[in-house]
Amino acid sequence: MLLARLSWAYLKRHKLRWALTVAGVALGVAVLVAMRLANRAVLASFHRTVDGIAGRTELQVHAGDLGFPEEVLERVQAVPQVRAAAPVIEAALDTGLPGQGYLLVIGVDMTGDRSLRDYDLESGEEAIIEDPLVFLAQPDSIMVTREFAQRNGLEIGSRIPLGTAQGTRWFTVRGIMRSGGLSQAFGGNLAVMDIYALQYVLGRGRRFDRIDVALQEGVSLAEGQRALHEALGPGFEVEPPAARGRHFEAILRSFSLTLNITSLFAMLVGVFIIYNSFAIAVTQRRTEIGILRALGATRGRIRALFLGEAAVAGSLGSVAGAMAGWLMARWIAGYVARLLQEVYGVVQNVQTAPAEPGMLAASAGLGVVVSLIAAWIPAANAARVDPVRALQKGKYQVLSAGETRARWWLSAGAAAAAAIFLWLGQSLVLFYAGYILAILAALLMTPALALWLARALRPVLAWLRPVEGALAADSLIQAPRRTSATVAALMLSLAMVIGFGGVARSIYNSLVEWVNTTLNPDLFVTPNAEIANRTYVMPGEVGSEIERIPGVRQVQLVRSARIPYRGTPVLLVSAEVSKLAETVPRRPLEGDLDDMYRRTAAGQATIVSESFARLRGLRLGDVVELPTPQGLLRLPIAGITRDYSDQQGTLLIDRSLYRQWWADDSVNVIRVYLAPGASAEEVKRQILERCARGRRLFVLGNQEVRRYIFRLADQWFSMTYNQIAVAILVAVLGIVNTLTVSITDRRRELGILQAVGGFKRQVRHTIWMEAVAIGVIGLVLGLGLGAISLYYSLEMTRRDLAGLSLDYVFPLPLAAWLAPVILGAALAASLWPAETAVRGSLVEALEYE
Amino acid sequence: MSKAATWLLAASFFAQDARQIVEEAQRRSRADSERYEGTLEVIDARGRKSRKRWVYRRLGSHGDSKAIIRFTEPAEVRGVALLILNHPERASDQWMWTPATQRERRIALQDRSTRFFGTDFSFEDLEERDVNQYDYRLLGEETIEGAACWKIESRPRKTRASQYTHSILWIRKENYTFARIENYVREELVRRANYREVHNVQGIWTPRLIEMQDLRRNSRTILRLEKLEYNVPMKESDFTLQALRREF
Repeated sequence: MLLARLSWAYLKRHKLRWALTVAGVALGVAVLVAMRLANRAVLASFHRTVDGIAGRTELQVHAGDLGFPEEVLERVQAVPQVRAAAPVIEAALDTGLPGQGYLLVIGVDMTGDRSLRDYDLESGEEAIIEDPLVFLAQPDSIMVTREFAQRNGLEIGSRIPLGTAQGTRWFTVRGIMRSGGLSQAFGGNLAVMDIYALQYVLGRGRRFDRIDVALQEGVSLAEGQRALHEALGPGFEVEPPAARGRHFEAILRSFSLTLNITSLFAMLVGVFIIYNSFAIAVTQRRTEIGILRALGATRGRIRALFLGEAAVAGSLGSVAGAMAGWLMARWIAGYVARLLQEVYGVVQNVQTAPAEPGMLAASAGLGVVVSLIAAWIPAANAARVDPVRALQKGKYQVLSAGETRARWWLSAGAAAAAAIFLWLGQSLVLFYAGYILAILAALLMTPALALWLARALRPVLAWLRPVEGALAADSLIQAPRRTSATVAALMLSLAMVIGFGGVARSIYNSLVEWVNTTLNPDLFVTPNAEIANRTYVMPGEVGSEIERIPGVRQVQLVRSARIPYRGTPVLLVSAEVSKLAETVPRRPLEGDLDDMYRRTAAGQATIVSESFARLRGLRLGDVVELPTPQGLLRLPIAGITRDYSDQQGTLLIDRSLYRQWWADDSVNVIRVYLAPGASAEEVKRQILERCARGRRLFVLGNQEVRRYIFRLADQWFSMTYNQIAVAILVAVLGIVNTLTVSITDRRRELGILQAVGGFKRQVRHTIWMEAVAIGVIGLVLGLGLGAISLYYSLEMTRRDLAGLSLDYVFPLPLAAWLAPVILGAALAASLWPAETAVRGSLVEALEYE
Repeated sequence: MSKAATWLLAASFFAQDARQIVEEAQRRSRADSERYEGTLEVIDARGRKSRKRWVYRRLGSHGDSKAIIRFTEPAEVRGVALLILNHPERASDQWMWTPATQRERRIALQDRSTRFFGTDFSFEDLEERDVNQYDYRLLGEETIEGAACWKIESRPRKTRASQYTHSILWIRKENYTFARIENYVREELVRRANYREVHNVQGIWTPRLIEMQDLRRNSRTILRLEKLEYNVPMKESDFTLQALRREF
């Protein structure tokens, strides 16, 4: 009880620091909760959509985004183990309705699809479609969910606009689905159309995206899969609907990992803030601790006192953080969904971030545990306080020689182990263990390095301001403990920022080179408003029409789509490779430029991206087996190049092979090169005039596409900017805390300075300089650890995330930008403590004397 | 003769008798071809009515025939057609043609149990019931709407895929026309067809009104046969997918 009173009294005296400590926990928990909830919301939304659409589907037959010819349906229906098989096409179409965004339109064969899906779960009595025959007979028929209808004031007979391959067309609502099941998918922004009408609307030709299958009674999934594989051959994937979730997760893997790293990073930062606060509290209260120990308080009681305070701070921060995280999650989920749509072309309708009580409680619990762990060392130190030494002011802050030596040895051991793990080879476990050990080594060395740097800074500070500079530097030198946690937090934050920022910069540099080499046509003709979107396709004959336009030197037809390869979706790009060889001198990382283009153009080989090869351990000459509706297409790798079209990897094949093996003539991009002197504007006008009648068509200039690509890159790297923001916040919180303690510690010293004639501005300058010095030390150590972190981040990108080997380029512009920001933040953080110092009572400060 | 043997003999006699009755009904309704204009009235559970018209043409008879149903009214569905190729040894092949999309679609066997475009008939109900695809058992005699009938149970043979577990047929003794068919899924009665307004058309007794009730949905569809003609000259080539596309 007495101890609780003491805690309360201390808390009342240091409300702001307590608030900052609680804010540190809250920040960590909030970011963790927000990121995880947002990630879950996106995944849950996808799973909900998959489950809702799947209905009673047990297995799905698909061949990636390219689909397959209709004939496959009869082969599936003829399999004896199959009870029902229904073809499906899915596309997210722009509704054109204000605020509604995309509408997921599912094309099904309405004559028989109900054997797999319920459209009117709540009641079988009321016809949900006004007239099923009219629905089928009229290709503008559409059935929407009750939620969508209510949101938009639609009823039977209402008309809605949708973007189609023929431009914007109006559709008539001829059915409204009741709530539940299917209508829950895609946040209710879901519609059903007749599959043959949707084929026409999307310009897909006689192809289906997939076939949903229900098995005969008593047939197991494994038996069904086996039977369908035997009937269809290796060109098709036969999987339960849940596998689509796995594919989606595979696409999002690197993104999810970035979110997780960001949230862990935020939590780690929280640990440092708490550690810092409690280390400071122990320092400030060592007299109080000494008195308590002298009065008979046991070490355990002293430890319990601080751990109890940590538990309270942790609980308050965790609860506040969990609530803030939940509120932030919805906004972040929307942001993530937009990012996915732009970067991956995967449209998701994330309307809510569900409040998962279990997850919120676990995160809050983690916040409390992390608070206790972070406070453990300061609490243990408090318990070890010698009552006699406790009264010797200032001494406690000094690092003992033995302590420094022990840290050196531990640090050297960790660094050596990290180096050995790195040297040992390709094991990801050892690689990540090495990364953690390298950070640990740096953290252990922080107090000693901070001390060394403070000493190195002393002459500079003294030269700038002889009195204030010397005092500021001495404060840091005499009490390295006080600043080491702040410096460590700052160092860690900056190291992470440099690591991620460096990777971003390396990718950006490579991206610029790739864009300059690859995306060099004058015009791009596409049926999709965004070039990464592949919903709409157009017939190859459009290319011939464009070729006849005066001023056009060459057109290149491209069809790209994701296909499954060894269980993950990869991007297949089919193009006229002989033409690409003339216009895109893409320097191979492995292979010979002329040979790779020659063999690929002849349909004898494929050119793969570095990421495709590395993520799957493939080398030049290895044979890849591509699943096609005709069977497996086996092609040796003739060249490995850098390509940023898809994170999971890209394969380039000749268009002739695509037409032959996929029986499809469609294209989604036409690359247009102009003759010398031709006007891009005039050619664009002519393309639109000749080819866009009754057809959805966009003609994009080279600069427009470049801007689009770099906008995507910027969006992707926006996570890095968020991390920079968090790092700066950490810096401010840490420095404010440190300086507050510094002033409390040095109240006597500052009092004497003022008593012997020192000006208030001198006191202010001292504190400002101390703050800037902490910033400089953190910055130097942060950039140093950042250089190491960048190496690991690049290796992580190469070995685990994207298979890209990027050049090590230290992000000097980022470092140059960070320096004034961090120093400015440090200075700003010192303003309030400096004012507190000069406004304090001189009598109170000198009472000891 | 033991009791068991007597019972088996009796059962065999009745079974043969039931088959003979159905065979006779089939024989009496045989025609080389058939054409009529049908009016469909669907009355849903809430009493709401919708009306459509079609033209029906059939070439061949029982189990080996070809038929086309082409909708003529209302305007939104005009031209939509269904081609049915019946086979004696297996289920029929069916295709639907929608002129607006210029596409035919195959109606898969699995889909035959679904409703025929919002009516109370299923696609299977539009197939012909060839006598050789079922096993029969005479259950007795009953009067249906004033007409004395044989009551016969029919069960599809293994070669005949059907949504129904069994059906109960009532055949009028007077003219061997169907008076009623009740279709069961396991023990649940799901559809009931009543055959009324029996007229002699070109020597063939034919019900001109068929009322199909869907007992699960509590709705019914009334099909009236108008301008009915038998043995009308028709060509094989008029019952193909090409003809389905061409005729509209």
